[in-house]
Amino acid sequence: MLSPALFVAVPLTVAAMVAAVRDLLPRWITDLVAILTAAFNFVIAGLWTLHAIHQTQVYWFGNWFPRGHMAVGIGFVMDGLGCGLASLASLLTLLALIFSWKYVESGQRHYHPLMLVFMAAMCGFSVTGDIFNLFVFFELMSTAGFALCGMKTREPAPLAGAFNFAVTNTIAAFMVLTGIALLYSATGALNLAQMGLLLAGRHDRLVLAALVFITTGFLVKAATVPFHFWLPDAHAVSPTPVCVLFSGLMVELGLFGAMRVYATVFQGCVATTHLHWIFVAFGGFSALWGAMMCFAEHHLKRLLAFSTVSHTGLMTLAFGLWSKDALTGLFIYLTAHALVKSGLFFTSGVVLHRFRTISEPALFGRGKGLKWTGLVWFLGGLGLTAAPGFSLEMGETMVTSHAHWAEAIFILAGALTGAAVLRVGLRVFVGMGDRGPSDRSAEVDEMPETSEAEKRINWSLFTPGLLCIGGSIALTFWDRFMDAAWSSSMRFMDFRSYALAVYGHAVPLAMLAAPHEDEKLAMALACLRVVLAVSIALWAVLHLKLPRTLRWPSFLEGSMRPVRQLQSGHPGDYVAWLTLGVAVFGAAAFWLGL
Amino acid sequence: MLDHYPYYVAAWIFLCGLYGIVRSRHLVHTVISLAILQTSTYVLLLAIGFRKGGYAPIFADISPGVVTVDPVVQALMLTDVVVEVTVIALLLAMVVKAYEQGGTTSPDDLRYMRG
Repeated sequence: MLSPALFVAVPLTVAAMVAAVRDLLPRWITDLVAILTAAFNFVIAGLWTLHAIHQTQVYWFGNWFPRGHMAVGIGFVMDGLGCGLASLASLLTLLALIFSWKYVESGQRHYHPLMLVFMAAMCGFSVTGDIFNLFVFFELMSTAGFALCGMKTREPAPLAGAFNFAVTNTIAAFMVLTGIALLYSATGALNLAQMGLLLAGRHDRLVLAALVFITTGFLVKAATVPFHFWLPDAHAVSPTPVCVLFSGLMVELGLFGAMRVYATVFQGCVATTHLHWIFVAFGGFSALWGAMMCFAEHHLKRLLAFSTVSHTGLMTLAFGLWSKDALTGLFIYLTAHALVKSGLFFTSGVVLHRFRTISEPALFGRGKGLKWTGLVWFLGGLGLTAAPGFSLEMGETMVTSHAHWAEAIFILAGALTGAAVLRVGLRVFVGMGDRGPSDRSAEVDEMPETSEAEKRINWSLFTPGLLCIGGSIALTFWDRFMDAAWSSSMRFMDFRSYALAVYGHAVPLAMLAAPHEDEKLAMALACLRVVLAVSIALWAVLHLKLPRTLRWPSFLEGSMRPVRQLQSGHPGDYVAWLTLGVAVFGAAAFWLGL
Repeated sequence: MLDHYPYYVAAWIFLCGLYGIVRSRHLVHTVISLAILQTSTYVLLLAIGFRKGGYAPIFADISPGVVTVDPVVQALMLTDVVVEVTVIALLLAMVVKAYEQGGTTSPDDLRYMRG
C-alpha cells in the first residue's frame, strides 16, 4: 500500500517542478503532467478511502508514534469521511484540469502549480489529525485560492474580488490560530485526540472562547451569513475551473474543519445540546438569505455563488442537528452538491466560452442552438432543487428524517435556488419570455477565458459538466455509498473510537446498513419542490403575460435593492459584518453554553 | 493582574488591526492593518509559552532539567510568520496590480462587483 503522505507530497513536488520548468515546456505537457498528478491522487485517495471505511487508518510521519498519552509526532488520521473528501477534492481538480485543457489565457503560467498546491492542501486538510496542521493546510488552501482567484490580473474586477477574499479569510485564519493558541494553553497538546482526552469534562470560559474563535474562523470559509460577503465577489471573477473547486469543495471544507474540531476536541467538554441551536440558526438563516439573493442575481456565476451560500447553510443546519442521520445526510448532500454545483459551473464556463458573456440579459435566447449544454444546465437546476432521482434528495431525506420542521427550510431554499437556475435556463436556452431585469453586477462583464479564434465547444469543455451531473444521478444507484456514509458518520461522531485509533487500537467497523426512510413521503416532498421550482421559474419568466395582480414574484427578482446594497464590495464593510457575526456567535455561545 | 497583561495587549492589537481594516481609505493601509492584526497572535503565543525565569530552549549548554520557555509555541510562531509574509506579499502584489489597472489605491474605487 502506498503511503498516504503521497497525496500531499506528490502534488506539492510536482507543483514545484512544473513551476520551475514551465517556461521551457510546451503547454500540453504541463497540462498532461497536472492531469496525471490529479489522477494519481484520485487513485491513491480512493484506495485509502476503501480501507478507511472499514477501519480508521493512522499514519505517523517519520514513525514518531505516541508515547503513552503523549502524541509526539504529527499524524494523518484517515477515517472514511476525511478520505472520502480527499478523493472528492482530487476528482474535482482532475475534472477542472481537463476542462482547462487549452484554456485560461491570462495568467496561465501560474495556473497549474497553483491548482496542484490547492489540491494538496485540500487533501491534507481533510485527513490531518493535528490541529496546528489543520491551520497550516487551511492557510495553504487559502493562499493558493487567493492567487487563483486574482489570476486574471489584466482586469481590475478579479483583483478587487481576490482582495476582499484574501482580507476576510486571512482574518478568519488568525481567529482560528488564536483559538488554537488558547487550546494549547489549556492542554499543552496539539494532537486532536490528545486534546480531546485532556479536556474531557472541562467546561469553562477559556475553552468556550476557543470554540468561538475556531468555529467562526472556519465558518468564514464556509460562507455562513454574515461571513459570506467575500464569496460572491470571489466567485464572480475567478476562472471557471477555480469556481468549481471553490464552490464544490473549498467552502464545504471550511464547515468540515469546524465539524472535525467539534467532534474531537469540544464534544466531550463545552458542547451542550443548546449550543447546537446556534449552528441551526446560522445555517437556516444562511440558507434562506442565500436563496433569496440567488434568485435576485443575473450574473450566472454570482447566481451560482449565492446558491452555494444557501446550500452550505443547509449543511451547517444539518451539522447543528448533530445526529447520525443528519450527519450521514450531510455528507451525502455535500458530495452530491459538489457534483451538481461543479456541473453547473462547468456549463456556465461553456456559455462564457461560446458567447463571451456571462450576464443573463445579454444571453437571452442565444443558447437555443446548444441543446446538450442546455440539457445539462436544466438537469443541474433540477439537481439543486433535490428532485427525485438526484442524490441530493437522498441526503436531504436523511437530514430531515428526525427533524421534520427542517424540511420547510430545505424546501424553500431548494425551490428558490433551483428556480433561479431554471429561470436562467428558460431565458438563455429556450428564449422564453423577455430579457428580464438587469442589474449592476450583471453588467460587469468578464473577459473571455479562451482565445477569440476558437468558438467550437470541444469535448474537454463539455464532458466534465456532463460527468458531474451524471455522477450525482448515478450515486443514487450505488447502495454501498449510503451504507459507507452511514458507517463513517457514526465513526466521525464517536470520539472514543477516534482516540482509540490514534493511540493504535483501531477497531474494525462492520459495514452497517443505513436505515431506510419513509420513501413515499420523501418522494412526495421532492415532487413538491420540483413543482414549486418550475412554477416559480415560469412565473418569473412569463410574468409580463400574467395579469398585473399576479406579477408579485418579479419583486423577488428585480427590486431587492436595499438588501443587495449590503453586498457593497468594500473590504471594510465585509470585515465589519464579520466582526458583528463573531460577536453575535460569541454572545450566543456564552449565553447558551455556560 | 500583571500575569494577564500580555493577553490584554494581544486583544488590544487584534482590535486595532480590525478597526484599521474597517476604516481604511488606502489599500496599503488595509494590508498593513492586517499585518498588525496578525501581530496579536505573536504576542498571544509567546505569552502562552512564557515561564518565569525560564531559559531559552537550547539544550546544548544547559542540562535537560532546567526550566525553559516552551519551544513549541516558538515553532508555531515561526510558521505563523511564514504564513503572514506570504499573504502580505500576495496582497501587496494585488494592490500594485490594482493601481496599474485602475489608477487607484482606495478601496472605495475598487468596488467593481456589488449588489
